[in-house]
Amino acid sequence: MIELDEARRAFLLRAALAAVAGAGIGTVPESLAQAQPTQHQHSAQPAVHPHPSSARGFGAFFNDDDAATVAALTERLMPGAPGKPGALDAGVLNYIDLALVGAYFDMQDFYRRGLNSLEAYCQKTHKESFVKLGDARQNEVIAALANGKATEFDWPRPQAFFNTLRTHTVEGMFADPIHGGNKDFAGWRLVDFPGAHPVFSQADMLSKNAFAGDQYIGLQSRAPRRRA
Amino acid sequence: MATEKTDVVIVGAGAAGGILAAELGRAGMKVIGLERGPRLATKDFAPQDELRFFQRQDLRPNVKRQPVTWRPNTKSRATPIPSQSYGNQAGGGTVHYGAVSWRFHEDDFKVRSHTIARYGASAIPEDSSVIDWPVSYTELEPYYDRIEYEIGVSGKAGNLQGRKIDGGNVFEAPRQREFPLPPLQVDQVGVTFDAATKKLGYHPFSTPRAILSQPYKGRPACSYCGFCQGFGCHIGAKSSTLVTNLPDADATNNFKLITNAMVYHINTDNSGRATGVSYYGPDGSADNTIEAEIVIVAPFVYDSVRLLLLSKTDKFPNGLANSSSHLGRHLMSHIGARVFAAFDDRHINVYMGPSAQKHTIDDFNGDNFDHSKLGFIRGSQISAGPAGLEGGPIASAMNMPPPPGVPNWGEGYRDFFAKYYTRYLAMTGQTEELPYPNQIIDLDPDIRDAWGLPAPRMTYDWRRPNELKRIEFVNEKMLEIGRAMGATHVWRAPSSPGTPGSHHQGGTRMGSNPKESVVNKFGQTWDIPNLFVIGSSTFPTSSGFNPTLTIQALAYMSADAIIKQYRKSPGPLIRA
Ligand SMILES: Cc1cc2nc3c(=O)[nH]c(=O)nc-3n(C[C@H](O)[C@H](O)[C@H](O)COP(=O)(O)OP(=O)(O)OC[C@H]3O[C@@H](n4cnc5c(N)ncnc54)[C@H](O)[C@@H]3O)c2cc1C
Ligand code: SF4
Repeated sequence: MIELDEARRAFLLRAALAAVAGAGIGTVPESLAQAQPTQHQHSAQPAVHPHPSSARGFGAFFNDDDAATVAALTERLMPGAPGKPGALDAGVLNYIDLALVGAYFDMQDFYRRGLNSLEAYCQKTHKESFVKLGDARQNEVIAALANGKATEFDWPRPQAFFNTLRTHTVEGMFADPIHGGNKDFAGWRLVDFPGAHPVFSQADMLSKNAFAGDQYIGLQSRAPRRRA
Repeated sequence: MATEKTDVVIVGAGAAGGILAAELGRAGMKVIGLERGPRLATKDFAPQDELRFFQRQDLRPNVKRQPVTWRPNTKSRATPIPSQSYGNQAGGGTVHYGAVSWRFHEDDFKVRSHTIARYGASAIPEDSSVIDWPVSYTELEPYYDRIEYEIGVSGKAGNLQGRKIDGGNVFEAPRQREFPLPPLQVDQVGVTFDAATKKLGYHPFSTPRAILSQPYKGRPACSYCGFCQGFGCHIGAKSSTLVTNLPDADATNNFKLITNAMVYHINTDNSGRATGVSYYGPDGSADNTIEAEIVIVAPFVYDSVRLLLLSKTDKFPNGLANSSSHLGRHLMSHIGARVFAAFDDRHINVYMGPSAQKHTIDDFNGDNFDHSKLGFIRGSQISAGPAGLEGGPIASAMNMPPPPGVPNWGEGYRDFFAKYYTRYLAMTGQTEELPYPNQIIDLDPDIRDAWGLPAPRMTYDWRRPNELKRIEFVNEKMLEIGRAMGATHVWRAPSSPGTPGSHHQGGTRMGSNPKESVVNKFGQTWDIPNLFVIGSSTFPTSSGFNPTLTIQALAYMSADAIIKQYRKSPGPLIRA
């Protein structure tokens, strides 16, 4: 599993980086660079289909800069690590990108303005865009959103922006893959949720151990289940 | 312009409306039900999608199109509440409820006299408006029995005709016979909760639920899928109004349901009679009217109050049925105290099985314990299940704040949640709240709904001394239980900032005095005898129990009174 996770993370990170580079922002953010892939990009796992459009991990709403920022923000909220799928692995960016032209279309300006304010705040305090800050400084920025101390925000307020990002990250990690996140059940693998099982037996319910079932069940897809 | 005539028109085809439709139709009355939402079927609930049904509240009122607003006091401006605890389609809230189905205690119906007898009048907070119900448990018992058997409720008696039975709720009021179905299967939440509460000398039991533990009346038993509260049941094992009373109403051939019909006005004439209602059709058309001999308002608390206020006339200048000026007052909700327990030595797998309030202790509810030295009255049901009463990971991540010292994002949170999502349970103290006359519902002057109607506005703050002390007490009890479970981490959630909790009640309270109440015990308005209001808006006090079984029992009682008394001699059912 670890190899696969690594490969998937690497792949997604590269996609996010491509977006940044494409937008001409410049150098590779530390946070992304240190997780640079070395191998296994074309793992044998059937669920991964590196395809030019899906490779971007977005395309319905965000522009390249905003996509890179949201990718980096959500990865800080739910960071991936070997054996622990994170927001990039789960395609949280894709989830939010789709939701903003679907169920959350009325939050487009909320994101636009929030991201603009974030950029202004990062420029003011660190003279850099969020994506170019290292993990530690990115964490500081997010903490300032969460505790409301970040300046340069009018609407949305920084806490509201943080809360929404957190909520949408949770949704993108754990909602059924049908909604564009939780890719290859990354979120469910992280917490060991087996998905939409229509039946649990009395033995399942009384067990003090991890659920014994051998499948992740999604609304359109299934996958073999092994404890990560 | 559509005008139809009928014997009875019912606003809202939910828990209360469904029963009245079936009963009055069975008695030969022509009934039209108006429901603002669609009529769905079991096959519509196949997608077990936590995002759609739990998180985005697909089956609940849409808080943007159908806002209900709240402000803590008259000096602040109201904003829409983030979720509403009732229905938005045929079957109402029972389509997606947790199906927890309680009979109230005997003293829940006489909080005032019972409290005075046991603790003296000074025990009742001066600023509260506690009264006795005009109906007793004994009077309602046959109707509780009726609903339990009609729809199928699973549980074990704890008090059979006065005989206490271990394993059931030994604090329950006496019941004449057993539940129609045995308790639902126990899971690791129930096992863990039972062991700890028994160790502490309490009396745990499987919560009675309107979910089939065995096949019943042609419907299958629960398959323990866990996508339960917030969801429609994908096999029809949850005894919702949609699969019980509404099909019964259809079978009478006297019932017609009009869906996507948003009632905006109750019509009255100069003599002071209700003549019918007007509604917006699915295309937004406003000129749709039903003329009826009897008008039954059952759209839940907010719209019951709102419709009566919106329908004011010269004859009823303060809103219909409001000669007492008590319309909209005494709003109550259940305030939730929450404690979490996480385990290193076992999995709990909280996502399996019906998700709401799985196992319960009733030891600290109502007046089941001595309050004389506690400084507050009334209590709380304490139960165990998943955070957010739904077992999926979104509900847990959104509703369980991590323990002190663990952040709610980043590596620390990821590792906490990855480890404990399958190894935690939550306890909920669902506390009774006393009524206060200045906790009100009126019309929001600023915010309107999608039809252009003013939103129902709550002015409400539960943080009163009696309630705060009770919440602290209940939190301490749950922390004690969590420690007795042997959990690695036990912690509590911060209290809500005054916001209303779940299960709103009051607003058109019943009473025995027309000067202090809006309706009599049959839900008949004191001022307009052919206008009835049925639902938890009529509750004078809230009890620590979920309201729906009592709403349903009252609906049966009202139906009986309409069929047996009102039909013979239309007029007040009770002379004040
Ligand atoms: C997630 C959730 C879980 C719950 N779990 C439990 C539980 O376990 N146990 C319990 O006892 N209770 C529970 N409840 C509460 C329960 O759903 C309500 O108490 C119950 O449904 C109320 O019955 P009612 O008939 O008054 O209203 P409803 O059942 O909601 O029916 C009212 C109907 O009126 C319609 N309506 C409203 N306004 C209008 C209008 N102007 N014109 C036309 N139609 C209108 C609505 O669309 C709705 O269908 C839960 C609620 C929620 C949301
Ligand atoms: S847990 Fe049981 S009652 Fe609830 S939705 Fe699943 S099958 Fe239906």
